[in-house]
Amino acid sequence: MKYIVDVNGERLEVDLDADGVRVDGAHVQAHLADVEGTPIQLVTIGSEMHRVAVRRGDARGRYALWMDGYRYEVEALDERMRTIRDLTNASAAASGPRPLVAPMPGLIVRVTVRPGDSVEAGQGLVVMEAMKMENELRTTTAGVVKNVLIQPGVAVEKGALLVEFE
Amino acid sequence: MFTKVLVANRGEIALRIIRACQELGIKSVAVYSDADAQAPHVREADEAVHIGPAASSESYLRGERIVEAAKQVGAEAIHPGYGFLSEREWFARLVRDSGLVFIGPPAEAIAAMGSKTSARQLAIKAGVPVVPGTTEPLRDAEEAAEIAKTFGYPILLKAAAGGGGKGMRVVREAKDLAASLDAAKREAKNAFGDDAVYVEKYIEGPRHVEIQIIADQHGTVLSLGERECSVQRRHQKMIEEAPSVAVSPELRRRMGETAVAAARAAGYVNAGTCEFLLDKNGDFYFLEMNTRLQVEHPVTELVTGIDLVQWQIRVAAGEKLPFPDEIQPRGWAIECRITSEDPANGFLPSTGRIEYLHLPAGPGVRWDGGVESGSTVGLHYDPMLAKLIVWAATRDQAVARMHRALKELTIVGIETSREFHLRVMEDAEFQRGDIEIQWLERRLPELVTPKAPRDSVRAAAIAAALLADRDRHTRRPGAAGANRGNGGASRVDAPLSGADAWVIAGRREGLR
Repeated sequence: MKYIVDVNGERLEVDLDADGVRVDGAHVQAHLADVEGTPIQLVTIGSEMHRVAVRRGDARGRYALWMDGYRYEVEALDERMRTIRDLTNASAAASGPRPLVAPMPGLIVRVTVRPGDSVEAGQGLVVMEAMKMENELRTTTAGVVKNVLIQPGVAVEKGALLVEFE
Repeated sequence: MFTKVLVANRGEIALRIIRACQELGIKSVAVYSDADAQAPHVREADEAVHIGPAASSESYLRGERIVEAAKQVGAEAIHPGYGFLSEREWFARLVRDSGLVFIGPPAEAIAAMGSKTSARQLAIKAGVPVVPGTTEPLRDAEEAAEIAKTFGYPILLKAAAGGGGKGMRVVREAKDLAASLDAAKREAKNAFGDDAVYVEKYIEGPRHVEIQIIADQHGTVLSLGERECSVQRRHQKMIEEAPSVAVSPELRRRMGETAVAAARAAGYVNAGTCEFLLDKNGDFYFLEMNTRLQVEHPVTELVTGIDLVQWQIRVAAGEKLPFPDEIQPRGWAIECRITSEDPANGFLPSTGRIEYLHLPAGPGVRWDGGVESGSTVGLHYDPMLAKLIVWAATRDQAVARMHRALKELTIVGIETSREFHLRVMEDAEFQRGDIEIQWLERRLPELVTPKAPRDSVRAAAIAAALLADRDRHTRRPGAAGANRGNGGASRVDAPLSGADAWVIAGRREGLR
C-alpha cells in the first residue's frame, strides 16, 4: 500500500509492503510497536530506533508526532484518499480563509482589525489575555475581514468565533 | 528549629519546599484550592488545608485565610515560595503580628525594595551603581536634553507607570528627543492614564546577571555568586545558568560586594536576589531586588552545594550561616523552564491532561516539577509546570547534558516548551554563551520554526505511514474502538450519536 505523506509541508511517498517500506527509492525494514504500559510507539527503521509520541489529529491520517526532538504535523493518506483530500482542500481554499477562533478561554484585550481590512497571512488580529499573559492571535491565511464578532473586555470560551473573512 | 511549616504556594515550588521540610525533619502543611485537591504538593505534604475556589484571588492570595489555617494546624512558620504572597509586605507583617514566623525577609525590607523608585534611592545611598537617569518625571524636552547631556546618547524614555515595553522609547540623537518624548507621553497617557516619563541611559546589549544573597539574623550577609538569566521572552526568563560566561572571579567579587551592600542597606534577612544589567564593558547597574526565593534558585544550589530552601528555613529559625565569606562556583548548571506553552504557535497557553510523563534521569539531572501523569493543566495558574536542571563540570558539558535530558523528557497530552529548549541548546550562539537580553526576541522566529534534518523528516514520514496503515486495519469510522487505549490517542471524538454513517465519514474526511 502506497502512502502519500505530508510532513511539515514536504510531501514524501512511502510504499509499505509486508516487511518494510520503500522511500526515496530505497527499501528498508520498518515496523511499529507499542511500548507496553505507555502511549509511546517504538518505530524501527532498519537498525534505527525512534521513540514516538503520537496525537491523532482532527481527520483521518493526521497526526502530531514528537520524535527525535522535533514535533511534526503529518498527514499520511493512501493515493485515493490523498486525491479526495486535495480536492476538498482546494474547494475549502476557494471558499475563503478559515475564521479566527479562540484557541483557549480568555479575555479580549485588543482588536487590531475592522471589517473591510485586508490582512496578510501571519498578521495579528486579536490580542487575548489568558494565564495573565497577553497572546496575539494571528490569521494563517490572507483575506479581507468580513465581521468582527467581539470587542475588548469581552470574555470568550475556547472555540468562540472571533473574526470572519469574506 | 520549627516542628511544622505551612507552605503557602502550589505547584513545583510547594513541592520543593515540602521536600526541604521533610529532609529537615519538619512536618509540612500544604494549602490548596478546589483545582488542586489532587495535586502532588497536597499528596506529598503531611497535612493539607483547603483554602478556597480555583481562582488565586480566592485561594492562594487570601493571606488571612492562610494565616488562620497555619494557626489551626499549629504551624509555627509560613514559607510563601515565589509569586502569590511572597513579596507582599502586608502579608509578611500579618504573619509576624499573628505570632508566626515568615520564612523570608522582614516586612520592612520588602517595603524598602518593593517599589522601583524607593529601591533605586536606597541603592544610590548605599553606593550601588544604578543606570544613570532621573527619578522625577520630566517636565519637557529641554530638561530631558539637559539631563541626556550628562550621560550621553542613546537614552531611554520610560513611562513611570509603565511595564511590558509600553511607553518606552530609545532616542539615539538629540534631534529626535522632542518628538520621541511627545510619543512616549502620549503612549503612557493612553496605556496607564499617567503621562509621567523618566529618562535614563540606554544600555545596549546588556546581559541580565543577578546575585543570590543569603543573610542570617546575626549580621552575616553572603553572596552566593551570579546567575545569568539573559534568555528572556517578554521579560520572562526562559533559561538560566550559573555561573555566567561574562563574569570573571574579580567581577563576581565586586558584584557580590555590591549586592551585599544593597541587602545591608535594606536590613535584609533570608534569601534574596539583586538583579543587574551587565554591559559589554563589564559595567553593571542595579535594577531591583527580589525579596524572595527565585524560580531559578536550583542553578545556584548545584554550583555552590548549598540547599537554599533548607537554609531559608534554618535562618528563619535563628541559625547562623556557617559558610566562608567567599564561595566560588564549582562546575556549571543550566535550568530550562518547562511551560505549558506552544512555542510553534506564539507561545499560546496549552491546556489539557498530561496523559504520560517520562522524566529524564542519569548523571547530573534534576527535575523540580509539580505535575505528574494524569495532572490537568488549566488556565487558573502560571503555565510553568516544572524546571529541568542539569549540572556538569563545564558549560559545554552542561549544554550537552541538557540536550540529552530534554530528548529523554516526554510529555504527552499538552504542548510544552521542550522543543524550543532543544533548539536553543543546539544553537551556536547560545553554545558560545553569546547572549544578551534581546537575544531571544531576535532569534525567536528561527528557533520556533526549525528545519528538521532530512533523515529525521524521512523517519517521521515512515512513522506516519506505519500509523496510518495500522489505523486503517484497526479503526472503522465511528466505531467505538476509534480511541484505542494504547495507540497514543488523545483524540476526543465529537458526540456523533444519532448522526448517520455518511455524516460521520464526511466529517472525518473534512467534507463540510
